[in-house]
Amino acid sequence: MQGVVVFQSQDNTCNIEGLKNHYNAADGAYIDAICFDNINFKYEGIMISRAQIKSLIKREPGFEDITCSLRATVKQPKGILKESKKVMAIARKFTDEVVRPMSLELDKKMHEDPEYLPWEYIQKVNEWGLYTMFIPKIFGGQGYSLSCLFYLLEEIGTACLAMSNLIGVHYLGYASLISSWNMKMIDKISRDVARGEKTGEPCIISLAITEPNAGTDSQNIELMDTGNLACHAQKTDNGYIINGTKIFISSGHLSTWHIVHAYTDLKKGSENTIMFAVKTGSEGFSFGRKEKKMGQKACVASELIFNNCFVPDENVCIDNRGLRNRSKGIWHSNEQILAYIWGASRIGVSSFGAGAARGAYETALKFASETEINGQLLINHEWCQCMLADMYINAASARIAYTEGNYANGLYGLWKILNLKPLYYLMKYTHVKFLDKFYMWLWNKPVMTLIFRKLCLDFQKDAETARVDGWGSLAKVLCTDAGVKNCMMAIEIMGQAGIRHDRRAEKILRDAKLLQIYEGTNQINRINVFKRLIAPPYPQTEIFTAGNI
Amino acid sequence: MMISVSNELKMIDKAAFEYSRKILAPEREENDKFPYGPFFDHLIEKAYDLDFFHSLLPESLGGIGQSISAICTILENISREDSSLGGIILTTTATHEILLAADAQGLLKQLTENADTFKKFMVAYPLFSNPSETNHLCIAEKNKNGYSLSGAQEFLVLGGISDHAIIPTKMKGEAEYSFFLVNLNDAGVEKSEPIQSLGLHSCPAADVSFAKVKGKLIGKQGDGETYFEAMASRLSIAAAAMACGIMKGSFKEAADYCKKRVQGGRKIIDWSEVKMTLAQMAINLKTAEMVVSSACQAMENNEPDWQQCAKAAAIHVHEMACNLTNDGIQVMGGVGYMKDFGQEKRFRDAKHIQAVFGLTPMKKLRYLESIV
Ligand SMILES: Cc1cc2nc3c(=O)[nH]c(=O)nc-3n(C[C@H](O)[C@H](O)[C@H](O)COP(=O)(O)OP(=O)(O)OC[C@H]3O[C@@H](n4cnc5c(N)ncnc54)[C@H](O)[C@@H]3O)c2cc1C
Repeated sequence: MQGVVVFQSQDNTCNIEGLKNHYNAADGAYIDAICFDNINFKYEGIMISRAQIKSLIKREPGFEDITCSLRATVKQPKGILKESKKVMAIARKFTDEVVRPMSLELDKKMHEDPEYLPWEYIQKVNEWGLYTMFIPKIFGGQGYSLSCLFYLLEEIGTACLAMSNLIGVHYLGYASLISSWNMKMIDKISRDVARGEKTGEPCIISLAITEPNAGTDSQNIELMDTGNLACHAQKTDNGYIINGTKIFISSGHLSTWHIVHAYTDLKKGSENTIMFAVKTGSEGFSFGRKEKKMGQKACVASELIFNNCFVPDENVCIDNRGLRNRSKGIWHSNEQILAYIWGASRIGVSSFGAGAARGAYETALKFASETEINGQLLINHEWCQCMLADMYINAASARIAYTEGNYANGLYGLWKILNLKPLYYLMKYTHVKFLDKFYMWLWNKPVMTLIFRKLCLDFQKDAETARVDGWGSLAKVLCTDAGVKNCMMAIEIMGQAGIRHDRRAEKILRDAKLLQIYEGTNQINRINVFKRLIAPPYPQTEIFTAGNI
Repeated sequence: MMISVSNELKMIDKAAFEYSRKILAPEREENDKFPYGPFFDHLIEKAYDLDFFHSLLPESLGGIGQSISAICTILENISREDSSLGGIILTTTATHEILLAADAQGLLKQLTENADTFKKFMVAYPLFSNPSETNHLCIAEKNKNGYSLSGAQEFLVLGGISDHAIIPTKMKGEAEYSFFLVNLNDAGVEKSEPIQSLGLHSCPAADVSFAKVKGKLIGKQGDGETYFEAMASRLSIAAAAMACGIMKGSFKEAADYCKKRVQGGRKIIDWSEVKMTLAQMAINLKTAEMVVSSACQAMENNEPDWQQCAKAAAIHVHEMACNLTNDGIQVMGGVGYMKDFGQEKRFRDAKHIQAVFGLTPMKKLRYLESIV
């Protein structure tokens, strides 16, 4: 590899100092030195060849890894901007009219009675259409781009993370369902949700992966086979029989559909993962305890119990039959599916983090603008101004980070196809009745699943998977740490008022702490950032092996 | 706390440790439900019988007249498991210290002499504020029978369950504040429901309003700040000992869990990232212990800068406790967030007690002012 070092001075002359012995970490070779001695010459523009551009922007961190937003502004349909504005406005209205007036009382109620289920809120979300808002029109939803979901979650999260999660988790379940690319199942469940909206009987979705002895292990392909997976799926004639327990499942007791991971070989889950859709009320499926949590109390964390629960083949989202012929092989396809799920859903958690950061900041700002200390409004103490500025920076950086991750998903991840301009505009400007008439029958054709799996599993490049997954983790760590940090600072600024429930700051802290834990602890997400964004040029790296202890 | 030579201190340490482990810990989750569950009177009564409330009180007033190390030892051990009780002891001790600083032994005697139960012994006090930073203090008026107080006192710790309270109050038209002792059962006193708060659920506070309530002036009129500073200098180290106890409890529970929990085919303590977090926790804990101990020593040896030692130690240890308890949840993953374990409560309590005696940033600024 060759390179040029150009030092440009202001008077349009250049001093070329020369290229010293340069070590290229990627291929481990020393690059020959070409030495010039301070040659002055008239500047005539930087000469750089196509090949050089290509090679220079490939250098770590690669251009495409760090400029998703730049690429998205060109590739993403313009309509998404307008939609985002509308979604944010709806979110603000919903927050003002439903969330904020309810949040403290609901939290108190759950503290008093941890068994309580907040159906009245779920009903409101359903009435406002928020459970179908981001379901594509071709599946009976309202068809807002999934790219806009996170602005909604952030807005609601500023007032109550649990209530935001009661929407976010539904889309976590939905995202997991999509990542199976089983078009028939996606259509079936989407239409159930839409029907629930019409009938006033909310139909929401949960995702069930975590098990009592396998938390981190069930979420990371490298750890599955050495872990203690226990949710077993036994193949029978027309389906599977599931036995086992899932824990900590957000919205479990409130959901109608549960996207469940179980394993035909518990010792080799990495190549025997089955994704099921299990409906509440199925024989052999029941709810166990509800966790008693520090925060996000309104969003119940449930135990799901499978006791000889029969799931028919038609409710299998994906199993090895769908993976056997994948170009990447079963192990990598399972890894890819997990990457689709986490890459998308961790942006959701990131937007909660940004919501927490903003909620805490806004609460502290209000307090500081109304409270005098030593005869002067807090907001006029210079130290307080700097703390508030830091909080603003944290909230803004969090939004930038999750937006970048959001773009990564739009360009390379879960909603890439839906964001393709022809499809986007077809859906946007075609009436739903027309779409149903011409496309609904299509989803029942197995060929549609085959096509989508080809497009989304086989055609997705490894670098794209890594970018989506890596940015999901990066944003998750940055945003949720920012959220907790701002809560800590808010309480410091507010002192005694900060620790009172009725002043909100303490609740935001209790709620925000969970963000650093679920969807993989932030520690595990840091390891994933290393795996996805740092390690690729270093083939000697090991992740989650005995070499790491 | 690093317990040094004194046998008496060692006995106190052992008693507090056993009490905390055997009596307090098993009921922690239940106690934390307050006000939606019962108050833990029966456990406090035992602590009272064990003289945990009396360590700093002079023998002449029925106490055991111990040094600051004694109360720090007690609070640290108790806070390993449940700092709510620590908060109750600290609040009551704060009122004693104010009365002692004001040379008001007479009043203190009245409060303690006939108190045969902790309920009679407890005195309410706004522990989480510095009156100098508070805008709306109650107002006192002098009349022919003494003083009468009007106004509202926010977040009066133990306000809903004590018979008496010490309230910072300004005389009408005066800039400096004074402390008054009031009877919370008097007509004209109105108490809110227990305030739901971040931590210390069983050390409840209430918003209390006063309408022409009789108050007894403590010490000299306008000298409140002097008494507050004397009390806060001494007790800030006691609050730091509470934070240190919380850290101890958090580290122990985290390390025990990591030695048992298996992920990826090995105990999670074997994963070097978990190890690193635990290592950082252990180092912070040891540092906190050393800081609290040497601040106690500085105070006991009456070193010229003991007040600064105490305040710097408190600010620093509180901050460390907030960080450590955060990690204490984190290394346990999901269960760290659940009430079945003690970590989430320790996290809340650590942040809660950081607010003792006022805003942290103001404490930092005042510290700087005291040394430059
Ligand atoms: C309230 C709540 C809601 C949740 N909602 C859902 C849900 O809807 N669906 C769902 O499937 N799950 C859900 N979860 C589960 C959540 O994703 C897990 O709790 C999380 O991934 C951590 O797993 P764990 O709790 O088993 O911790 P563990 O995996 O036991 O981890 C404990 C600690 O060990 C560390 N650790 C573990 N393995 C390694 C390793 N190999 N290297 C380094 N460190 C390691 C972790 O970082 C952590 O610090 C929820 C959890 C909570 C608390």
